[in-house]
Amino acid sequence: MSEAYLPEALRPQPLIEGPLTTGGLDDQVLQWPDKKPPRAWYVAVTITGILTLIGFTCIGYLLYEGIGSMGNNIPSAWGFPIINFVFWVGIGHAGTLISAILFIFRKRWRNAISRAAEAMTIFALCCAAIFPLIHVGRPWFAYWLFPYPNVRHLWINFRSPLVWDVFAVSTYFSVSLLFWYLGLVPDLASLRERTKSKLRRGIYRIMSLGWVGSARNWLHYEKAYLLLAGLATGLVLSVHSVVSFDFAVSVVPGWHMTIFPPYFVAGAIFAGFAMVVLVLSVVRRTMHLENLITMTHLEVMNKMILAMSCLMGYAYLMEGFTAWYSSNTFIRYIFGNYVWGDTGWAGCLTICCNVLIPQLLWVPKFRRSFPVMIFVAISVTIGMWFERFTIIVLSLHRDYLPSAWGQFHPTWVDFGILIGSFGLFFTLVLIFARTLPVISTTEVKGDLPGAHPRHTREGGDHA
Amino acid sequence: MPDAVSGVIALFSTAEELVDAIPEVRARGFESLEAFTPYPVHGLDKALKLKRSWLPALVMIMGGLGAVLGFLFEWWTSAVNYPLHIGGKPLNSWQAFVPVMFEVTVLFATFTAGLGMLFIFNKLPFFGNPILDSDAIKGITRDKFALMIQPVGGALDVDAASAALVSAGGSNVEVVMAKAHPPARGSWWVKTFLGILVACVVAGYGTSLAIKIYPTIKPMVEMEDQAKLDAQKADGFFKDGHGMQLPPEGTVPRGYMPILAKTPEEAGKTLFNPLPITAKVLARGRTLYDNHCAVCHGFLGRGKPLLDKFYQASPANLQSKTFRDVPDGYIYDVISKGKGAMPSYEADISSKDRWAIIHYVRALQRSQHAREEDLQ
Repeated sequence: MSEAYLPEALRPQPLIEGPLTTGGLDDQVLQWPDKKPPRAWYVAVTITGILTLIGFTCIGYLLYEGIGSMGNNIPSAWGFPIINFVFWVGIGHAGTLISAILFIFRKRWRNAISRAAEAMTIFALCCAAIFPLIHVGRPWFAYWLFPYPNVRHLWINFRSPLVWDVFAVSTYFSVSLLFWYLGLVPDLASLRERTKSKLRRGIYRIMSLGWVGSARNWLHYEKAYLLLAGLATGLVLSVHSVVSFDFAVSVVPGWHMTIFPPYFVAGAIFAGFAMVVLVLSVVRRTMHLENLITMTHLEVMNKMILAMSCLMGYAYLMEGFTAWYSSNTFIRYIFGNYVWGDTGWAGCLTICCNVLIPQLLWVPKFRRSFPVMIFVAISVTIGMWFERFTIIVLSLHRDYLPSAWGQFHPTWVDFGILIGSFGLFFTLVLIFARTLPVISTTEVKGDLPGAHPRHTREGGDHA
Repeated sequence: MPDAVSGVIALFSTAEELVDAIPEVRARGFESLEAFTPYPVHGLDKALKLKRSWLPALVMIMGGLGAVLGFLFEWWTSAVNYPLHIGGKPLNSWQAFVPVMFEVTVLFATFTAGLGMLFIFNKLPFFGNPILDSDAIKGITRDKFALMIQPVGGALDVDAASAALVSAGGSNVEVVMAKAHPPARGSWWVKTFLGILVACVVAGYGTSLAIKIYPTIKPMVEMEDQAKLDAQKADGFFKDGHGMQLPPEGTVPRGYMPILAKTPEEAGKTLFNPLPITAKVLARGRTLYDNHCAVCHGFLGRGKPLLDKFYQASPANLQSKTFRDVPDGYIYDVISKGKGAMPSYEADISSKDRWAIIHYVRALQRSQHAREEDLQ
């Protein structure tokens, strides 16, 4: 390889441990959908299912009783629903980053984890979609968010960031789903030919659309995949920027800042990578995929988390600097309030979880240590949730008029729905792990030694 | 019609063997070739002399179309069809339209790339492909690489093709037969799938119908039934049972003076026009007369309604001698309280405006019954 001139530490690590044949890869990855899950899986899915049920019961209560059963009220009108929405949309970003941006940059280590990460994107967006719907108050009118010819002769206001948000998130969801499904089609064809069960065969047969893997099929397929990756790259950077416009376009002190779009995107990738590490470190153990999702993969992701953590630290500092440099009383007060105010513990917790704890990953041993990476991933998840809490609740509850100040008090319904969203996410992840291939076998097959003819490999630029 | 030969297929165990076999088979005179692989193999398109995919061009066009349509739609709704001033911004505030335009562009482009690849370029879903029924497909979707020699003009020498494939290193040579009637529609799983789809639609429609017919649970009752009085509904809070109460007896709205006179004749003796006769007052009076009075009394006050075909009453002729002689206070009282079929205009026309109308009515009368000195 061309990297021979590099020093030892910079040379690419082998991405697959141990000998593996193309057929062996299929046997290892595609065996799971046909196997009966172990008891531990049933226990896990029961627990997450109960959490989901709690969440949906709370939503049912909310719909029956009215929006007042949640804690959001003037001045903190956004409360938990928007915190959770931004949190879950953010979690989704790692998946598209891995599947699209790293594909464009030809980072081969993405191949083993892209499928699971994309699936997590979709599940996270499912969780995110719940919150704006219940937050609008009357979800049965949610279709008013879209422009359609109606008897009232009204159109939506395209100058509103909230409308941009509707378009950005719904586009993001559709494109992620399409991208994920396109990647799945050849794998589903493999599953179709493997499975013994007649019912599964029928389902896979329909879902794989009669894919035969001819050279002509692949020619168009590769083009489409590359195009989708390029388009999704722009999309993933736009989505959280648009989400941040919900805040930045307003005049609330602490929100009205130009740093918000990049800062939100970095935070989203940060939280997303933490969740990917969290899920994959469990998946590789329980499904015996250590040779495919290796410590090298996890280490690279941990490096990514570290880099993003430093970016977050920079963003927090920059926000503080902007507040100070602006000489604006209100902005200065809000930023002081983030850390020293009544609910200042939330701001302190954010900085601790997002900036301080991930610094552990500077130590190479910790980057490869299972307990440490789990600890860091959980702390980042908590930290990112509280970051949104700080931004949304603490900015709103003490803005310009002291006479309009108020405290935010979440209720049990708020907590129930938050817990339910985690339950839903992990339920979907668990079901996915046992019904669909968690690793894109098609992409990994192309990475195996000897996968491509030698003469094209020598002349080609393929990594 | 008997089954036709769709091709002769052989398996290779590595991608390299497959790519090397293609020129060998081609050298034996077989031009129509197709390869099947478990993953995209580099260099295969060149070896098979496949043409470039036109997908990127189509995606480019559709993406551009998305951008244009997205922007035009935003401009049309915000600046043409429903122009609404928001925050003092121009109607065509194009900078604010960029985010949605971008999303629409991406949506058009990605769906063209994804679905265009599947439906247009690869012609999927297609379940009648004879390869799907061959033995080779198990290997193709797993770890084998297949090369198929296809008939040219419907003719293929099966034995020669098999020999060519074997000599090029292929194994498991198989003749793929295309069934006369591809089982694309009749298969049980297509029926099952369609059945589930139909069942879902029926169940969904039935549920929505049931909810409409029996609305047993009202969602968000706290939002709909609030602890307040509804203006137009009955309520037990007040003694008379009305949600909305009339103002107390003798209430006078702002800008309105109560008329103490009991009859128009009495008003004619006690009320006098306080306004001076100026061009401005007359213009005001004319506007109000034309808006409120002319529909019945006519633009000249002759009592001929504009809607006389539909209107059965006979409005007063303001040009008649009676009305030329009544004092201003009399007319003021009639406008305020109404007379006969004419309703009260007290709530619609302010006191000052009523006096202005009266000045204008006097001007109208004089225009039709001019005095000697007016003509000089």
